[in-house]
Amino acid sequence: MNNTFDFSQFSKQSKKGILIIYFKLLYKLLKAFWVLLFLFFQKFSKFNQTTLFYIYLGLGFLLLFFLIRAFLIYQNFQFKVDKNHFILKQGILKKTNTSISFDRIQNINFKQNIIQQLINVYEVNIETAGSNKTEISIKALSFQKAKALKSQLSFHNSTIIKEEIVAEKPFLKINLLELLKVSFTENHLQSLLIFMALLVGLFQQLEQLFSGIGKDHLLNEYIEKSSSSFHQSIFVFIVLIILLIFIAILSSFVRIFLFHFNLTVFIKDQNFEIYQGLLTKKSIILKKDKIQSITVSTNPIKKILGISFITFKQAVSGKVNKKRKDKLIRIVGCKKAQVNRIKELLFNFSEVDQLERKQVHVYLKRRMYFLSFLLLLITNVVFYLTFLDKLVFLTNILLVPLFILIVNLIFNKRFYKISDDVLLVGSGSFDTHLTYLPFFKVQNIKMMQTFFQERNKVVDLVFQTASGEIKLPCIEKSEAIKIYNYTLFKVESSTNLWM
Amino acid sequence: MFENEFVSNLPNITEITFKPINKNYLKVILLNSLLLFGAILMGIFIANHYNFLDAISPYVYLVYIAFIIVLIITILLLYFGFKKRKYAVREKDISYKSGLFFQKITTVPFSRVQHIEVDESPLSRFFKLASLSVFTAGDSSDDLDIKGITKKEAIEIKEFISQKINE
Repeated sequence: MNNTFDFSQFSKQSKKGILIIYFKLLYKLLKAFWVLLFLFFQKFSKFNQTTLFYIYLGLGFLLLFFLIRAFLIYQNFQFKVDKNHFILKQGILKKTNTSISFDRIQNINFKQNIIQQLINVYEVNIETAGSNKTEISIKALSFQKAKALKSQLSFHNSTIIKEEIVAEKPFLKINLLELLKVSFTENHLQSLLIFMALLVGLFQQLEQLFSGIGKDHLLNEYIEKSSSSFHQSIFVFIVLIILLIFIAILSSFVRIFLFHFNLTVFIKDQNFEIYQGLLTKKSIILKKDKIQSITVSTNPIKKILGISFITFKQAVSGKVNKKRKDKLIRIVGCKKAQVNRIKELLFNFSEVDQLERKQVHVYLKRRMYFLSFLLLLITNVVFYLTFLDKLVFLTNILLVPLFILIVNLIFNKRFYKISDDVLLVGSGSFDTHLTYLPFFKVQNIKMMQTFFQERNKVVDLVFQTASGEIKLPCIEKSEAIKIYNYTLFKVESSTNLWM
Repeated sequence: MFENEFVSNLPNITEITFKPINKNYLKVILLNSLLLFGAILMGIFIANHYNFLDAISPYVYLVYIAFIIVLIITILLLYFGFKKRKYAVREKDISYKSGLFFQKITTVPFSRVQHIEVDESPLSRFFKLASLSVFTAGDSSDDLDIKGITKKEAIEIKEFISQKINE
């Protein structure tokens, strides 16, 4: 036990914490009102001296107000360790007292965003099990104090991994060149979609603001004007596509570098310790028992380079949807030997690989063909109605083979394997995903059958785990019933820890 | 009831007898939909009466015919769908199945149950009925939801499961 710090009395964060809280408050303010600020700069020259003076005065007052607020938050944020409980009191006007017993604490993770890195403090996040209560986050502690707190909290708690400093050789370390490889072989379409989602979010914020000040027609006019000019030339269209491809690849690079910079993985007592991040450095401890399922993914280019990535799905506590993204942990750039090692560590995953592939029923293919046909029909009608030109039907020469290719790819990658303990589900189109699920982790199981499926004697199976569902579509009913019964048997006779 | 100590004795979901839910619940479902349809009918009638539907007023009888057809189809679907709603409690799990054109069967093992809720809606209470919801970990919002069993039985099942969990 580390006794360099006395936690039996209430103590505060590092004084630098005021700065962190202050920046956080300002960041929140900026995020909410950035459009206003933008408008302000645009009209900067139009303001006269007195107005400017008042604006600066207001701004200064606001900054001061938040500084005082940050100081008060800091002053009132106090924690101590008392009789196997971690006790935290916080709040300026509305006081909150939180007390967590040691055995409710699941994990203690350290994190450093860019400001925390600059002033050399650590954010300590205490994850609790099973409750919907917000997880506790101490924004600024010196490394020594953070370490001491962790060792105090984990002293009586066997579930937390003790010892912080890892001296041994890392299991996996991704250097810059490898990271470059990884980002080059990413699914750029997905990156583009994420980027688009960000843009849409930004746009919505803009729209909200404009409608808030009653000028939404301005924005609409602008969009209408610019979108009508799009139709006019194919040149713009091609430029746009090239631009999109460029943005897609660039956003893949940025995404991968920000998240996975300096990715290092250690294995300790069958738990994973993952360190990664450029702007926000994260240290994550992934416990074997909490992992519900893993997915090994690769794509043709990655296959040539011999790399794949592994996605770990952890149990989600309560119904905290917002936090769900954090529970998804990816290790990129795994070599084949490393993938096998991870599989060996977790359950009997390597065993199931040896077994024979079982293809799902051909009905899935028929259903997909039918749906693609419907989709094609709709796109054709929509295209025709927008352009009123029979030439648009030529796009089908491109679209039909594309649809057939995708349907066949998806169908061929849909298979499953069943060993005594593990279900392996293959999926993907251009990518290949192999999901490994130990039967005893299943929370509930569903069997679904539509009217059309009934005539073909096929059903969909859905395995619900504590971290989401895994679907096995269109398998023969007799087979599905066997799997259904077997899964129930496995869950009901298991004594293993599943969360 | 089943034993599941050995693989040879796999609990078989196709061999258990499912119990239909309480017949009175059909009345609740029908009453609920009649209330809804009544409200819509009232809406159409008022709209027509105060000449909101000027443009189509000569054809307003078509609206009524469509309304009646939808009502009949809905009631038929509800009636036959109702007959498909069944549940079964076994030694170690609870199952529920439903669906006319989209059949669905869910089984939750007791060992994964986090908590159980028994709710009564105002109409159900009149018939002494309740719904039983079973929750497991993760964010699968409603794992299993058996609507329309007697309150007595709902509480019995709840007690039974709680006792099994604590064993």
